Amino acid sequence: MKFKAFFTDDGIALLDKRFLPAMDKVGRLCHVYLTPTHAMLLHNLLGPTGTGPDGGGPQCVAQFAKDLLFREYSVSSRNGNRVAFAVDVALLHRALRSALAVHAQSPAAGDASAAIQVKLVNKLPAGSRSASPFLTFETKGARSAVVQDVPISRPLSRSDVERLQAALDSAQELPQTLVQVPDLPQLQSLVDRLKNVGDLLTVAVTQYGDLHLHVATSLVTVGSEFRKLRILGVRATAPVGDQNLSASTRTNMAIERGEALSVQVNMKHLAKSLQCHLAKPDCTFYGISPGGACLTVIFQYFIPGTRLTDKSISFYCRLPVLDPGS
Amino acid sequence: MSSSTSARDDEAPDLVCQIDCVHGMVDALSCVRWKRHQDAVLELSEHGIVLIVEESGCLQAKVYLKRELFMEYEYAAEGRPRFGLSLGLLVDCLNTFSAPGHSSPVEIRYPGPDMQLLLKSVGSPDSCMYAEIRTRIPDTISWDYHFEHAGNTPVTFTVKSAVLKESIEDLEWPGSSIQIQMQPDPPSVLFKGEGHGDLQIEFPYYANTDLLIAFQCDHETSYRYKYKFLRATTSNFPNSIVKENRGSKVTIGRGGMLKIQHLVSVARPGCKVLGWDLKRAQSIFLLLLKQQSTAW
Repeated sequence: MKFKAFFTDDGIALLDKRFLPAMDKVGRLCHVYLTPTHAMLLHNLLGPTGTGPDGGGPQCVAQFAKDLLFREYSVSSRNGNRVAFAVDVALLHRALRSALAVHAQSPAAGDASAAIQVKLVNKLPAGSRSASPFLTFETKGARSAVVQDVPISRPLSRSDVERLQAALDSAQELPQTLVQVPDLPQLQSLVDRLKNVGDLLTVAVTQYGDLHLHVATSLVTVGSEFRKLRILGVRATAPVGDQNLSASTRTNMAIERGEALSVQVNMKHLAKSLQCHLAKPDCTFYGISPGGACLTVIFQYFIPGTRLTDKSISFYCRLPVLDPGS
Repeated sequence: MSSSTSARDDEAPDLVCQIDCVHGMVDALSCVRWKRHQDAVLELSEHGIVLIVEESGCLQAKVYLKRELFMEYEYAAEGRPRFGLSLGLLVDCLNTFSAPGHSSPVEIRYPGPDMQLLLKSVGSPDSCMYAEIRTRIPDTISWDYHFEHAGNTPVTFTVKSAVLKESIEDLEWPGSSIQIQMQPDPPSVLFKGEGHGDLQIEFPYYANTDLLIAFQCDHETSYRYKYKFLRATTSNFPNSIVKENRGSKVTIGRGGMLKIQHLVSVARPGCKVLGWDLKRAQSIFLLLLKQQSTAW
């Protein structure tokens, strides 16, 4: 089992400034999954069900084309050249920041030969009798070369890698309708305040481009509705004259007509998934998977300087849906 | 739907009003949120909304939100409708309307179809926020907080709000029971704490003209108050009261009833008060505290 590569400048900046801060907020431990074509950071994909997000928290997937993050990327294993392991996100980020700081002092910074190298090693830690796996960062500074070892878990077994891959494959099914949320920080601020009111949030997405969030307890109902949002996928024309109805009535009527889906999620899970705005996506879409299986949040990135989707980055969250009966 | 509810649907609601920014209202109501689950009574009238909170039978607070605070105020009830609700929920709900970047006016309506208090953001056709707070029949309010002046001349002083708050916080150390003493000669106010130790804080009227803004007392007066309730009169001050540092008026009435009045600015933060009637931008926050001996 081998992995070795050099970071590209864009790749390391993306991880340092955007994705690692976001992944750190979603959870302390994440899986790094390396395939011959892609590198991924994954949260909560190995739930008990293996195919959908479980009650433990939102699934979060950040997938990068290998050439976006690395040069001279090589990964090999007896399991289809795929390697996966768990790592502490904060430690990984700290090592990366420190490697960047050393790299910045290098007179050859920006030169490909001075790039930061990352590889998978098995080392005998001081005071230990057995070797442990590490992700090692090697950086050449002006007067020094710095090697940092970030401890990682034992690589996942063949069956766990299969489960990881199966979970990723099952997540490919997109919601029929996705609506674009215009202002993610504003939504985060709203959810932060709604957290004081209740623990369960009902989210409804209509084919007219409405997103309706509400919390209901025995004493209070608080809700917020965003209308006429940009729609991707299946859309329908809103019935004439429904603008005078209340948000709840409108949503219920849309559900009855089969033109909306509604699910209940844990407020804490939604708040966690909203931390993904730290990865500064260009657009964010919300949708409900067919049959109300989960709430999906898709973050879209544009190729810099254009409005074209950057297909080398795929970033999304799937929130477990709570059974109202349980 | 019951027939009585249907009948009510045809009638105009008791109150429909709009406020352009709930931030100040949240500040004013937070002053009297002494605990997370605090019950309150709201009383509606043609003059405005009064929120009444009572604690342990010896401290009562009233927040007056005058009708001038509201952009629109349509009152259609006969008498003065009164209902109970959870103050914590009301503040949390209003807080969701005061999220940054969310500056739409908020409509307050009572009653809803199920006697709820309804809040709704208005003004933006493409985004809307709403809250429905369940109300209940209010507990009987204790009306023995009747305040009367002890003599012909009211015994009163006005002090900068921040100074009053700071002094009361300092008295936490001796704790337990605090004596407030006012004397006409030399004119001064004395806060005396006796418990784990003794601490006296004196406000001499002539020593510093900025300290006591007003002072009126024709005979020596002295009463004791339980510290935890005295502290509640200033502990939840929003920053705006301390920053603006207007006066807080303290009056001692018959039987030692202590009345403290603060002014809370309810104007939109950063909004210039120029061209804005100053009275419109304020709500009055009034507390009545019984002296210790009658409370126990």
